[in-house]
Amino acid sequence: MIHLTRLNGTPFVLNAEVIREIEATPDTIITLTTGEKIVVGESVDAVTSAVIDYKRTIMGGHRAP
Amino acid sequence: MDIATIIGIIAGFGLIFMAIVLGGSPLIFVNVPSMIIVIGGTMAGMLISFPLSDIIGVIGPVRNAFFHTDVDPAELIKKITEFATIARREGILALESHAGETDNEFLSKSIQLAIDGTSPELIKDILTTEVAFMEDRHALGQSILNTGGSLSPAFGMIGTLIGLVQMLATMDDPSTIGAGMAVALLTTLYGAILANIAFIPVAAKLKVRTASELLIKEIVIEGILSIQSGDNPRVVEQKLKAFIAPSLRETG
Repeated sequence: MIHLTRLNGTPFVLNAEVIREIEATPDTIITLTTGEKIVVGESVDAVTSAVIDYKRTIMGGHRAP
Repeated sequence: MDIATIIGIIAGFGLIFMAIVLGGSPLIFVNVPSMIIVIGGTMAGMLISFPLSDIIGVIGPVRNAFFHTDVDPAELIKKITEFATIARREGILALESHAGETDNEFLSKSIQLAIDGTSPELIKDILTTEVAFMEDRHALGQSILNTGGSLSPAFGMIGTLIGLVQMLATMDDPSTIGAGMAVALLTTLYGAILANIAFIPVAAKLKVRTASELLIKEIVIEGILSIQSGDNPRVVEQKLKAFIAPSLRETG
């Protein structure tokens, strides 16, 4: 689960497991496994690090510095 | 101004009038009581069939048949492709300043929805609902006119029957049969003319207009959804050009 912001500024939480692709067009568009696309305000790198952080947290490992 | 509608109506009435004049005196074709039966009866029938507000509302679409300004699909596609290029280069939010560049209200509204960060499903929902109800309203207008088109010959027939009854009542004087019969048939003539030059053709024109407006709106919906999913502008253009006939795809 990662925290993201929609284009209109509304924050929401996305289930990281259903992310299929993330593209920069230049708006970041996340394509889900369902085929739906969501446009978010964060950059592609920000989204990927958020997912990695989330995975580390739930795996119980230590957070990267 | 829609030239075709104007020419059609003038030609229709004109040719009928010419045929009448070439065959003799036009005065025998004028009978005020007959006109009252047909026009009054048709209006009465329509008032019974439809709520008053709907009948008054049909004036708008009818004006459309005479004064329509055509939206060129190819121009629209070009505009949407431009927007796609801007969105691809500077992000969707950059479209905000460009939203005013089109006088197509539906397109401006769709862009606004996309800029507001509305999800694609929701945008599709909102826009397709709007299109569906536009279709319904137009269909109502067409059905009112079609009802008029079936009522006017029917009232013409009623007028004819009235005339025949009156004629048969004075059968003892054979010299009046000819004149009475002529007057009786006039109402059917008025009814048929009214139906076939006015009501039915205008209803058909409205149907065509509705279909072309529908096409425009579907192009807009497809375009906005495509832009929002980050499609390459070439892809957007190809998707939209599929909506129109190959011969219309190049703009001037």
